[in-house]
Amino acid sequence: MESVIRIRQLGKTYKGIESVSNVHMNIKKGEIYGFLGPNGAGKTTVMRMILNLVKPTSGEIIVLNEIVQPTSYLYLKNIGSIIEYPVFYEALTAYENLELHCEYVGYSHKVAVEEALEIVGLHRVGDKKISEFSLGMKQRLGIARAIVTKPDILILDEPINGLDPIGIKDIRELLVRLKEQLGVTILISSHIVSEIESIADTIGVINRGRLLKEVKMDEIRAQHSNLEQYFLQLIMGDDQHA
Amino acid sequence: MLKLMKLEWKKQRVNSYFKALMICIVSIFGAVSLMAWTSGEEIEPLFPDYAELMKLTNVFIRIVFIIFSSVLLSRLVIDEYRNKTIQLLYTYPLQRKKIIQAKLAIVFGFCFFSIILTSIIINLLVLSLNPMFPFFEAPVHVGQMVASIPTTILNAFMIAGISLIPIYFGMRKKSAPATITSAVLIGFLINSTVSNGGTSASLFQFIAVPIVMCLVGLIIGYLSYYKLDKIDVA
Repeated sequence: MESVIRIRQLGKTYKGIESVSNVHMNIKKGEIYGFLGPNGAGKTTVMRMILNLVKPTSGEIIVLNEIVQPTSYLYLKNIGSIIEYPVFYEALTAYENLELHCEYVGYSHKVAVEEALEIVGLHRVGDKKISEFSLGMKQRLGIARAIVTKPDILILDEPINGLDPIGIKDIRELLVRLKEQLGVTILISSHIVSEIESIADTIGVINRGRLLKEVKMDEIRAQHSNLEQYFLQLIMGDDQHA
Repeated sequence: MLKLMKLEWKKQRVNSYFKALMICIVSIFGAVSLMAWTSGEEIEPLFPDYAELMKLTNVFIRIVFIIFSSVLLSRLVIDEYRNKTIQLLYTYPLQRKKIIQAKLAIVFGFCFFSIILTSIIINLLVLSLNPMFPFFEAPVHVGQMVASIPTTILNAFMIAGISLIPIYFGMRKKSAPATITSAVLIGFLINSTVSNGGTSASLFQFIAVPIVMCLVGLIIGYLSYYKLDKIDVA
C-alpha cells in the first residue's frame, strides 16, 4: 500500500538536547496509525515536525510524495490537525471559528461547517462563543475543525483528552468511519492505550525520542495478549537497557 | 495578501476600533478646544493662530495613534502568540510571512488613515467652529489647511512606520503590556518638547529623527517575519 507519510532518520536537537533521534515511520494510505509513548517521549515533536511547526535537525519527512522543506506549506492543505490541545478565537462563535478555518484553507464551506458541527454533536451550540465552551466541547470542536475541510490526512495529538466516555466512543466511531468511508489516513496519539488498540491498524512506539517499534496491530494481537502489555514490555525493556 | 487582510480584519473585528477612533478624535479636539477657549481670555493666549493650534493638535495625534497602533499590534500579533492561535495559523497552507505581513499592513494602514482622518475632521471642525467660538484671534483660511496636506500625509506615513517599533519589545516576551508601554514611551519621547520660554522644539521637528525612526519601524516590521518560515514555532 502507498505511503502517505514517510519519515527517515528524523532528528531534533534543541539547545543541545536530542529530543527526537533517528525516527523512521511509514504511514500507509487509509490506515489509522496509533502513536504511543510516555509523556515527553517525542510524540508531539514528531507530529509538529510533520506539520512544519518544528524544523527537523536531521532526516527527512515526505508527505504525499512531497519532501517537506523548512519553507513548505502547500501540502498542509491536505492535513487536518489537533496538536496538544485545540485553540480557538474565544470571541468568535463555534460556527465562525470553523467558517474562518475554511476560508484560510480555501475550502468552500456552505454546508461543510454545519455538517462538521453535527458530526461532533455541536450543531445546537454553533452560535455560542468559545468562551462558553467546556474543555470537552472544545475538544469536539477541535475535531470538527480538523475534519471540516475533508483532508486526506488527520494528525491528532491526544484528541480524546477531556472527553467524557460518550465523547470518546463518538470520536472512536467517527475516526473509524472516516477511515472506512473516506479513506482518510489518521495519525493519532493517546495515553489511553485501550482506545488506540480498538481502532489502530499500525502502532508506533516511541520512548526517549527513539522509535522502538513499528508494528501491525494484527501481529500484536497474534503474539501478545493485548497492546497495553506489549507497550509496557517495550518501554520497560528500553528503560532498563538505558 | 488582500484576502488575508480581509480575514484578519474579520477575525479580529477591526471594525470595532472605529468607535475607539471616533472617541480619540473627539477627545483630541475636546482637549485642544478647551485649552484654546480657557486661554483665550488671558493676555497672552495659548494659540495666537491656526498654525500654533495645529502644532499641539498634531502632538496629541501622534502620541494617541502610536499608542492606539500598539493596542492593535498586541491584538493582532502578540495575542496570537500568547493564546497559541499562531500555531493554528501556521498549519494553514499559507506562507507564514504573508500572514504576519497582512497583520502589520493592517496596523500600518489603520494608523496612517486614522491620522489623515483625524486631521481632516479636526481641520473641518476648526474651520466651521472658529467664527462662532474663536480658538484663536487670527482668521483661518482654507488655503492654510490645504497647504498643510502634504506635511500631514508625510507625518502620517512616518508615524505609521514608527508605530511598528513596539512589536520588537512585545515579541521578546510575547507581552501586550510591553508592547503598549514601549509605545507610550516612544510616543512621549519623540514628541517631548524643550522650550526657553519664547520658542520651543520637539524631537519630531528635527526631520531626521522621524525619518530614522520610521525606517527603524519598517525594518523591525520586516525582521519580525523574514525568517519566520525557517524557524520553530514556540
